[in-house]
Amino acid sequence: MPDTSFTTSQLGHAYGSVAALHSLDVTVPRGRTGLVGANGAGKSTLIKTLLGIITPTMGSATVLGMDTRHNKIDIRSVVGYMPEGPCFPLDQTAADFLVYAAGTAGLPRQSARQRASDVLTLVGLNEERFRYLGDYSTGMKQRAKLAQAIVHDPQLVFLDEPTAGLDPSGREEMLDLIGRLGSFGIDVVVSSHVLRDIERTCDFVMMLDSGTLLHAGPLGTRVDADIVHVELIDGAAAFERALITAGAEVEGTGNRMAVRCDDGDVFDLIRDSAARSGASLLSLGASGSSLEDMFLHYGNRP
Amino acid sequence: MTSNLGAVYDLGYEPFEGERRGRKGAWLTVWADGLRRVLGLRRKARRKIMPWLLVAIAIIPPIIAVGVAFIIPAGAAEAIDLASQNADFFVLGGTIAILFTALAAPELLIPDRHDGVLSMLSSRPLTSTDYLSARFASLLSIVGAFLLLPQIVLFIGQAGTDPNGLLRGIVNAADTIPRILVVTAIYATAYVPLGFLVASFSKGKAIAASVYIAGMIALTAFGDAIVRNSTFTGGRWVALLAPINTADSANRWVFGSTDSNSLLAVADIHPSIGLLALVVIAVGASMFSVARYRRLM
Repeated sequence: MPDTSFTTSQLGHAYGSVAALHSLDVTVPRGRTGLVGANGAGKSTLIKTLLGIITPTMGSATVLGMDTRHNKIDIRSVVGYMPEGPCFPLDQTAADFLVYAAGTAGLPRQSARQRASDVLTLVGLNEERFRYLGDYSTGMKQRAKLAQAIVHDPQLVFLDEPTAGLDPSGREEMLDLIGRLGSFGIDVVVSSHVLRDIERTCDFVMMLDSGTLLHAGPLGTRVDADIVHVELIDGAAAFERALITAGAEVEGTGNRMAVRCDDGDVFDLIRDSAARSGASLLSLGASGSSLEDMFLHYGNRP
Repeated sequence: MTSNLGAVYDLGYEPFEGERRGRKGAWLTVWADGLRRVLGLRRKARRKIMPWLLVAIAIIPPIIAVGVAFIIPAGAAEAIDLASQNADFFVLGGTIAILFTALAAPELLIPDRHDGVLSMLSSRPLTSTDYLSARFASLLSIVGAFLLLPQIVLFIGQAGTDPNGLLRGIVNAADTIPRILVVTAIYATAYVPLGFLVASFSKGKAIAASVYIAGMIALTAFGDAIVRNSTFTGGRWVALLAPINTADSANRWVFGSTDSNSLLAVADIHPSIGLLALVVIAVGASMFSVARYRRLM
């Protein structure tokens, strides 16, 4: 069993003259991975490249240790995919569609029926399994899409914007389901531009912006946690002098600055400097405490 | 004492450790789904109307012919010789099969593209060629069965009305079986790949059906106009572009009859050359369909 979900090496893809992925080099471990980026960042292109739907124009990639160019069928035998858009016929019942979805993964018909029933129960559609998919609500359709992605018990499942179009309660339920997949032994790659969803479900994050890799790492890592951002009402110049005198490094202009201190507690230093200089603080907070901070941090880096 | 309170047991998730049939199993699943889809099985009732109506239209004339053959004794002036009816019923069945293909081919391909099912299939052990060949096989199977049904009725009637009894009748009629199968393959070769090609590129089912039917009629009309009125050398070869006429001529040739007014006869082209042209057109059309789907899956 490989210890990576997927890896890329100088992976690039262009749609004509428009580059969608730029020389991605990344190693993503097994587990639950979030793929973060704004619309058009290249998330869906990356997933399609990993599934072999798109042939990269440069570089290479592996999924579960298998090369995407040469082992397309082997990869597709062990992965699932929940696309962002629709993926089922509206004139079929959920039960029939799930049997079909399992059958297309190679499961014999009897096993496919059993799996379809089990997975529909798992995603909460057991009572609705004989309704036509065209009659489903948006939330039920998203569950059905998730069900088809896992009906054949894949080792790795790609979920592209799984909470798109869901109301708050539907979103919570979907995130709960995604969170449980890890405990079933299924690795997950969740693509989303909603950072909260990634924070909630993943333990590794990969950030993309305009097809470029901004950052890849464990989600628990705090970024520059010893830097504190300070905003003042007045007395900024005196406050900055007091900080520097006390041994802190200060960056920023006007009433906003970032303060860093290698020795001692930076919050204590800010409190003492403010008292000494008579400056009035408006706000202060640690940097990099959330995925949003991480995204802003890496996104703003030159 | 037992409690009257219900209990919910979360059975959790069970990994699947059974047999996986891989690519072959996936192919068979797509093929079988194609058959069900065309016939409207496990779909809403209105989806069953058109295919089964066409089946009924194709099968009623031979049933009537067989019924008449049973009623009117052999040797009577009005008696029907079922043994000579195969080619005629193939021409009739072939005409209805054009409508059936126009209905079936779009049904097999267009909803999968329109509803995004191809996205789901992109995470399955299938290549685009696997998917397309499975759908093609579905269409070939269902159109083949559609063409065979009237012939099966005729065969049963032929055997049943044999004056020497049913068993002897089956033996006597058995020599038509290979010819029936060959002509079924000819009509399927003439109709299926072109229907598939149109469905591969069309956005809507109604558009695809209309384009296919209009195209088949237009090819026939064009070939007819050129062959019968052409003044330039080589114009007669245009007859090979009309698959309906070619299939009809080949049908009569296989059953040992001729139609001196058929397009191939007027163009002085042997039906065997027509068959070769059908195969070339079928291969070409299939290659275009494959190229189209390479970009989709």
